[in-house]
Amino acid sequence: MQIPAEAIVFYALTAITVLSGLVVVTSRKLVHSAFALVFAFSGLAGYYVLLSADFLAAAQVLIYVGGILILILFAVMLTHRIESLDIRSETLQLLPAIAGCGAIVVLMLLAVYRTPWAVKEPQVLTQTAQSIGSLFMTDYLLPFEVASVHLLIALVGAVIIAGKRGGQ
Amino acid sequence: MPDPNWSQALRTVAPELTLTIVALIVLVLDLVAGRGRKGALAAIAVVGTLLALGWSVSLWGERLVAYGGMVVADNYSLFFNIAFLAITVLTILLSTSYLRREEADLSEYYVLLLFCTLGMMLMAKGLDLIVIFLGLEILSISNYVLAGFLRTRLQSNESALKYFLLGSFSSAFFLYGIALIYGTTGSTNLGRIAQALQANRDPGPLFQVGMALLLVGFAFKVASVPFHMWTPDAYEGAPTPITAYMSVGPKAAAFAAFLRVFSQPLAAMQGEWAVVLWVLAALTMTVGNVVAIAQPNIKRMLAYSSIAHAGYLLVPMVASGELGTSSLLFYVLAYAFTTLGAFAVVILLSRKGEAGYEIAGYAGLGYTHPVLALAMTLFMLSLGGIPPTAGFVAKFYIFSAAVKAGYIWLTVIGVLTSAVSLYYYLRIVVLMYMREPAEESSAATLTAGPLVTLAIAAFAVLLMGLFPGSIFTLAQSSVFGL
Amino acid sequence: MPMQNVLTWMIFAPVAGAAVVLLLPRGRDELVRWISLLATAVPLALAFWVYANFDRTSPGLQFVEHYAWIPAFNIEYFLGLDGVSAPMFLLTTLIAFLALVASWGIKEGVKGYFCLYLLLEAGMLGVFAALDFFLFFIFWEVSLLPMYFLIGIWGGPEREYAAIKFFLYTLFGSVLILLAMLALYFANEPHTFDMTKLIAANKQYGIAFQLLVFIALYIGFAIKVPVFPFHTWLPDAHVEAPTPISVILAGILLKMGPYGMLRVSWPMLPEALKVYAYPLAIFALINIVYGALVAMAQRDFKTLVAYSSISHMGFVLLGMCAIGPQGLSQAGVNGAILQMFNHGTVTAMLFLLVGVLYDRAHHRVIEDFGGLGVQMPVYAGVATVAFFAALGLPGLSSFISEALVLIGAFPAYRTLTIIAAVGIIITAGYWLWTLQRVFLGPLNPKYATLPEINGRELVTLVPLGALVLFLGVYPMPVLDLIRASADQLIALVGPLP
Repeated sequence: MQIPAEAIVFYALTAITVLSGLVVVTSRKLVHSAFALVFAFSGLAGYYVLLSADFLAAAQVLIYVGGILILILFAVMLTHRIESLDIRSETLQLLPAIAGCGAIVVLMLLAVYRTPWAVKEPQVLTQTAQSIGSLFMTDYLLPFEVASVHLLIALVGAVIIAGKRGGQ
Repeated sequence: MPDPNWSQALRTVAPELTLTIVALIVLVLDLVAGRGRKGALAAIAVVGTLLALGWSVSLWGERLVAYGGMVVADNYSLFFNIAFLAITVLTILLSTSYLRREEADLSEYYVLLLFCTLGMMLMAKGLDLIVIFLGLEILSISNYVLAGFLRTRLQSNESALKYFLLGSFSSAFFLYGIALIYGTTGSTNLGRIAQALQANRDPGPLFQVGMALLLVGFAFKVASVPFHMWTPDAYEGAPTPITAYMSVGPKAAAFAAFLRVFSQPLAAMQGEWAVVLWVLAALTMTVGNVVAIAQPNIKRMLAYSSIAHAGYLLVPMVASGELGTSSLLFYVLAYAFTTLGAFAVVILLSRKGEAGYEIAGYAGLGYTHPVLALAMTLFMLSLGGIPPTAGFVAKFYIFSAAVKAGYIWLTVIGVLTSAVSLYYYLRIVVLMYMREPAEESSAATLTAGPLVTLAIAAFAVLLMGLFPGSIFTLAQSSVFGL
Repeated sequence: MPMQNVLTWMIFAPVAGAAVVLLLPRGRDELVRWISLLATAVPLALAFWVYANFDRTSPGLQFVEHYAWIPAFNIEYFLGLDGVSAPMFLLTTLIAFLALVASWGIKEGVKGYFCLYLLLEAGMLGVFAALDFFLFFIFWEVSLLPMYFLIGIWGGPEREYAAIKFFLYTLFGSVLILLAMLALYFANEPHTFDMTKLIAANKQYGIAFQLLVFIALYIGFAIKVPVFPFHTWLPDAHVEAPTPISVILAGILLKMGPYGMLRVSWPMLPEALKVYAYPLAIFALINIVYGALVAMAQRDFKTLVAYSSISHMGFVLLGMCAIGPQGLSQAGVNGAILQMFNHGTVTAMLFLLVGVLYDRAHHRVIEDFGGLGVQMPVYAGVATVAFFAALGLPGLSSFISEALVLIGAFPAYRTLTIIAAVGIIITAGYWLWTLQRVFLGPLNPKYATLPEINGRELVTLVPLGALVLFLGVYPMPVLDLIRASADQLIALVGPLP
């Protein structure tokens, strides 16, 4: 049985993503978590490449790895003595949680294996940036604009929550 | 390819556009307006909301679909939107004096309120899961911030944080559901999902899982048991006008989208989902009402009562059909006015520093403030479903829909739990009229805004209770075509 | 005043009065009382007109008003009277008026009291006049709320408990009535709440449907009567309620239960009635005997009257479900409706009398009194009339209605009727014993200074006493009203299969 190269890459990426995700959650040190997150995000970007979504892959790397993570790291570095903080929280109700998660996993696996998948022929790699752009300006104009309003609200909200209260 | 009929497209979203522009104007004017001039910005917000309301009314009777089937302005969405805008106006009226008292008089409050309403309107208008999700997110983000608006109060922070964490959780469920549905049907458009389902009767279990995740997302937003845990703390800690708003607006918006999503693509599978909704409805009505009995704080009590009412709103969803839909619309309206009215009384009786919410403080109100007590009695009776109030007609309406669809036991549970609910609604009435006023009885500060809200709500509750005919007709003409 | 809307005028005159009372400034208590009196006098005056113009030969509906109200649900504003409802409707105006006079002594929260009182009257009148099931239900609920407040605010020490118990019991009943109402609504095509149409369609309801709906309606109405075992709210409510409210409760409100059965259950679900008639008669018997026995054991005068009500209401139910091979008994149905009317007058008198005594002595323990016949001879005279009427002495009104009920029930249920007759003996026993304990024997020196019954109290008692005496000799003025409609009801139910 010949294993296609794509499958090998896919499972490698999955291993990277899941394992680093585990580290993010279980690590005792915030810095370790932050660095593990870099790998998780990069793994995700790898998926996009695998799916021929070049623009998304680039955006993922630029925004998440390049932007957000760096920001998080800055925040961690600049915060006094945060490295020495033990941030791991207690584990409660371990058995019920395992049972619940197990049930969900079984359910999802069953669902995945029983669903008749609509399989698409692999497409030839093309540039997606242009078509994404034109879709945003035509079919998806409304969601695009609404999303921009959404960002504005998030900005205003962040200012309210974090900003200095007027006069106080 | 740009939309060939761009003027129609603009008309379809004109109310939303108006609201967005007004929100931006308020945001910018805040830079100009000095301290203590925020009242003028509230007035602008009210005018803008009324403008959007007028736009919505003018679209009544048409069915405009725009942006490639992303949004629709039909009577169903307009009915909800008009309700949302009315709720927003009443909420702003509740807020001005309250914000001044709590020293949180910032114009961003109104901006966020308007944006939140925008999100609600998009949820009602959305014909595409993406638009519905974006509406939901706009609503949620603004709401998280509004819940934590009293930044110096610990409870307000707790409210915002809990709401944010569980809200994001539910959004994730929702999004995952959308992804699975897209994966199995190839579209996020409700119409195309329905077509895909018709073409392929069995879309597979993954589709069902997707729908189940959507259901969980909606159940979180409407605060249905067992996804209601965030509600009491979030409601108790939020600024009171926002509590009022949260318990009617976003809940109604979630129902608007909930009903559209679950009756349009899933019409063929109604039977299977009805069982799940049946259980949710029965659980929600029972737990909400039973737990509400023990609450010593009026905001918390009203929070549990709003959970219970989500259960009643699930009843017509189970019943579905034309009668189910129109009764849901009527119930939303009746519940909104009643709850806003009750909160108007609560705000009038509260004191600086978010105090004065103990139910015991209502003792003797019938003697110290007869008019407020009378109004509160009216609202409590309406929430409990006693004639001649809007609440009774609304309950009658949803239960007749359920009986007609053959859900007798659900109706029995519903009427029995509503009898239970009377116990705690009437407890307030008992306190107001049958007990002596407390020593440091809360002297109400009668400010104009809440009083206007109170009067409007009381009028609407009585009108819908005595002459529900015209609203019935409106609700019936707002049933969307399947 | 256009007379074709006379029923609306009668129902809404108290509502208008309540609105005026509500708008009066504080501290005008005397004015509030007089306006309320006027607002109850208007329906009473119109009641005389209605009584005079009532067509005694017609079994159909009279003074009909029929308008669309909520077209979307086919709900109508539909009022009218027939022989089943007219006696209670007219009696309501009288008792409401007299009990208002008896309310003159209310000193606290005068405005609220009279406002609620007037709404209560409107609700009760509406129940007896409504012919649309939905409208009936609305009035039913509207009469519930003011009662709750009147007991809960102006009642005795345990008022809150009594009020909430009353409310929850009746509400539970309402819930079942609501379900039954919806079931009947959807059983008809086109859906309707019009009672005449619901009755006309009674042949098309399946037997299983009838049996189920009948039970729901029965429990709903039986709670109001109250029929054993749903009676436990009644003594509490009566003991805690202020006197005029007890009068209304026993005189009118309890009658809404049997009235509802006669108006709704009997004609709409005749087949179910035929199945359930015997068990219902057994419950009626339990009411008669159990009520009488418990009444005998009471030390509190008011509780005694309350339990006697349960016993007397048993006769109403017994007469209503006396059904033989030819169908419902004519004597039974006529007797039951007449008994509703007569019990209304007698029990109103009894509660007023208890109130008179309580106002003076501030307690109601029967053993504490004694020899009051010497101290208050007029009071003792009026009380004797009421007591004798209650125990069913021939020549007084209750005798005729109870005799009719027993005559009607005997062919259908011999054993039960004989036991019920024994119940009358117990009744006679406790009334005579009470009479003896309160009025005869040595005077308790504590009460040597009790003042005689006053003029206002006599005004409330004398008209009722006169009615009791007059109808005891010549019951036709009321029986005339009933007969034609009772015959029609009997025909609707039809013979046993």
